[in-house]
Amino acid sequence: MFGLPGQGMHLRIDALSALFLCILAPQTLAAAIAGMRGSVTFWAFILGMVLALLAADAFTLIFGFELMSAASWLLVLQGDRKPATLYAGIAMFSAACLIPAVFLPASSIAFLLVLLGTGAKAGLAPLHAWLPRAHPAPPAGVSAVMSGGMVKVALYILIRYGFMVFGAAAQPWWGALLIVAGAASVLIGALRSMLETEMKTALACSTIEHVGLIAVGLGIALRAKAMGDPALAALALQGALLCAIAHGLFKPMLFLGAGAIKQATGTTSLDWLGGLMRGMPRLGALMLLAAGGMAALPLGPGFAPEFLLLHAVIAAANTGGILARIGFTALLAGLGLATALTLGAAVRLIGIGFLGRPRTLHAAAAEDAEPATLAAIALLAACCIPVSLLPGLIVFALVPVIGLLVPGADPAPLAYAPLSLAVILLIVTALAFLALRKFGTRGTREVAAWNGGFGRPPVWLPFGDPTTQPTASGFAEPIHRAIGRFMLATGGADPSEAYLLLPIIRLHSRLTRLAEHIRRTTIRERLAFVFAALVMFLLALGLGQGG
Amino acid sequence: MLYFLAALLATLLHAALVFAFAPLLLGGITKLRARLLGRRGPPLLQPYRLLTRLLRKTTLQPETTTHLYPVWSFAAFAALATSALLVPSFCTGLLTANLSDFITLIGLLALARAATLLAGLESGFGFGGAAAAREALFSVFAEAALLVILISFVLIAHAPTVDSIAEAFRTGHIGISVSLGFALAAILAVALTEAGRIPADNPAGHLELAMVHEAMLLEYSGRYLLLFEYAAMLRLLVWMNLIGTVFFPFGMARAGDLLSWPGGLLLWAIKLTAMATALALFEVSTAKMRVFRVPEFLGVAMLLGVLSGVFLFVASRVGG
Repeated sequence: MFGLPGQGMHLRIDALSALFLCILAPQTLAAAIAGMRGSVTFWAFILGMVLALLAADAFTLIFGFELMSAASWLLVLQGDRKPATLYAGIAMFSAACLIPAVFLPASSIAFLLVLLGTGAKAGLAPLHAWLPRAHPAPPAGVSAVMSGGMVKVALYILIRYGFMVFGAAAQPWWGALLIVAGAASVLIGALRSMLETEMKTALACSTIEHVGLIAVGLGIALRAKAMGDPALAALALQGALLCAIAHGLFKPMLFLGAGAIKQATGTTSLDWLGGLMRGMPRLGALMLLAAGGMAALPLGPGFAPEFLLLHAVIAAANTGGILARIGFTALLAGLGLATALTLGAAVRLIGIGFLGRPRTLHAAAAEDAEPATLAAIALLAACCIPVSLLPGLIVFALVPVIGLLVPGADPAPLAYAPLSLAVILLIVTALAFLALRKFGTRGTREVAAWNGGFGRPPVWLPFGDPTTQPTASGFAEPIHRAIGRFMLATGGADPSEAYLLLPIIRLHSRLTRLAEHIRRTTIRERLAFVFAALVMFLLALGLGQGG
Repeated sequence: MLYFLAALLATLLHAALVFAFAPLLLGGITKLRARLLGRRGPPLLQPYRLLTRLLRKTTLQPETTTHLYPVWSFAAFAALATSALLVPSFCTGLLTANLSDFITLIGLLALARAATLLAGLESGFGFGGAAAAREALFSVFAEAALLVILISFVLIAHAPTVDSIAEAFRTGHIGISVSLGFALAAILAVALTEAGRIPADNPAGHLELAMVHEAMLLEYSGRYLLLFEYAAMLRLLVWMNLIGTVFFPFGMARAGDLLSWPGGLLLWAIKLTAMATALALFEVSTAKMRVFRVPEFLGVAMLLGVLSGVFLFVASRVGG
């Protein structure tokens, strides 16, 4: 019915596409519940992603991928015009790389083109500058699926081509390239998510970080597979795929929550919020859980993938030449830096946005989110429970996928046992609670905060002077001073923007000026040009004949 | 069965000792430090008195806090108490041995740190926020350094849990390795920063502007402050146990072998005393650093960690 004439459209489902459909399903459902179900463009966007995941031939794959790009461009356009243009440019670049690549035979060039095409769509450094601009623009439900789902579809295509279609021609340096790009994304994403004050932008930056983590895992797996080490490949793949699953749950939660905050207060800038936990207790509790996942804290959904990835990096440091080993040591340092930065970003999100005192009247008057939004976030939170507490089961369920990607691999079970850890934590908390109740003085009295002795604020400022509390940018200032100065371009701009996007824009305007110059030439200059061209042509012809 | 009973007994004894003696360790260090400075110092049991006094006090909750105010203290305490149960003290082979993966431990410390940072931001006043921002800065470098050090442990011991690393270092003939020397120097720097000791933070300071760990708890009182204070004492002991177990596992008892316990206990006491003395000596001979010098201090630690890895790789290349 559809597809190329005479060939039709081929759909097939295997373990890998089933896994990514499972990642896509909960967030789509949640976004639909949260208010996107009436939008035709949204469903076209979802249809495009599903087609890309189910495609069995290259044409269907490209068709689905481009449908996804076009629909999401329309959705971004509804939110904001400016990033939509940038987004369309990146989508075209991605298509221009991907379309030739899928019809090429398995070779390094084809893999490089696939990496460029999918990397641009997934937000891998250095092609990530559009993501923090475009992802926050559309309504929250779309942002959620773009961050949680769309980047995963791009990574799915990377996995499908890197491991399966081009699998026979794989070289170790493909993996190394992916690791380098992933590490750069992890660092820049984590740093920027710590520094951005706009909540949705910070979340989009954290998406870059998680895409980078997945890419690091995939890169280690690709390298290990090409070097004939299926055990390490399986370990790294477990980490990467589990990270994709976990990120597909907690990031949509955070984006939907940010949308609810926007609706309640009219802003998502952390510097205008504060104290939301009082007005929005249920949303606050759900956001706290999701932020725990983002920060990769133990017993959260984000910890098991982090655990597996770090172990994969350590195991990879035992393979290859000495330079590769030192590289993996540096990679581990980078991951440690990024983990702590993400923890800081998550703490800032909760601590500045939800705790403390309200910074504006809007924040003080915020009321809890609509039941539909809360239900959507709670649905995702419920899906987080098995990922957080029973990651061993999920890792077991990943065995067929890993068998498909790395034939002959025998994935080891997960060494991290969150259930026993949870039991110990619960026992310790319960004992502390009971001991305090039995032996301690029970009363709690509400008083004015001590605040270094400044005492109670005047009555006309019920929450004290809003300017005396730490702001989001103030909280990030030490990190900006110690790390940001070295990793960001001047003025705090993203290096990809400053060193890649801006030169392209400058080149474009210079070429435009040149073209304009040619267009404005007088008739004499044009005639002279035509005459000169004729003389040159004849000269060349004559020389060619004479020689 | 018998082995399980012995391990259970050892775990219970470990828990009891760790929870009972964590305040004494802090008291000992404070006393020793005061003596070295020529003062008499507070009594050895002062930390216990602090805890019982806090237990008796009414808790004062600032009006500007949310209903999550008590949650952070319980979270920080539970995370540190769990890590105290995971890191072996006098013997290896505890019931929690399989859980004591190094990365889980780093995660638990991060959980405690997150709870403390949120406690600092809870009431929305300047001191807590400023201290939280500094702590976030320190943690970035400390975590990176710790992960780099981990690489040499895991690659030498071929095992990721603290328990099995100790077991491998005790039985294996590793000798004195250059790598482990660098790793020790690096982990000491991380431990000093994470435990809030002198070059990074002054535990005896009284100026809010200069505080890091203490300033985040300024708005806490009564039983919730007790949890935080106790957690800080446990954290110091966890770091000492970790360093003692990984770098000096010689002569540690085995949980299944009851006869080896007295020796292990004695050795543990000696190790803690030695480390406490070293810490006190170090603290009286150094000054606190400026906040923005600490990242450099930890950067050196990270570099030492990388060097330790490099030496390991070169050695394996030359040796293999």
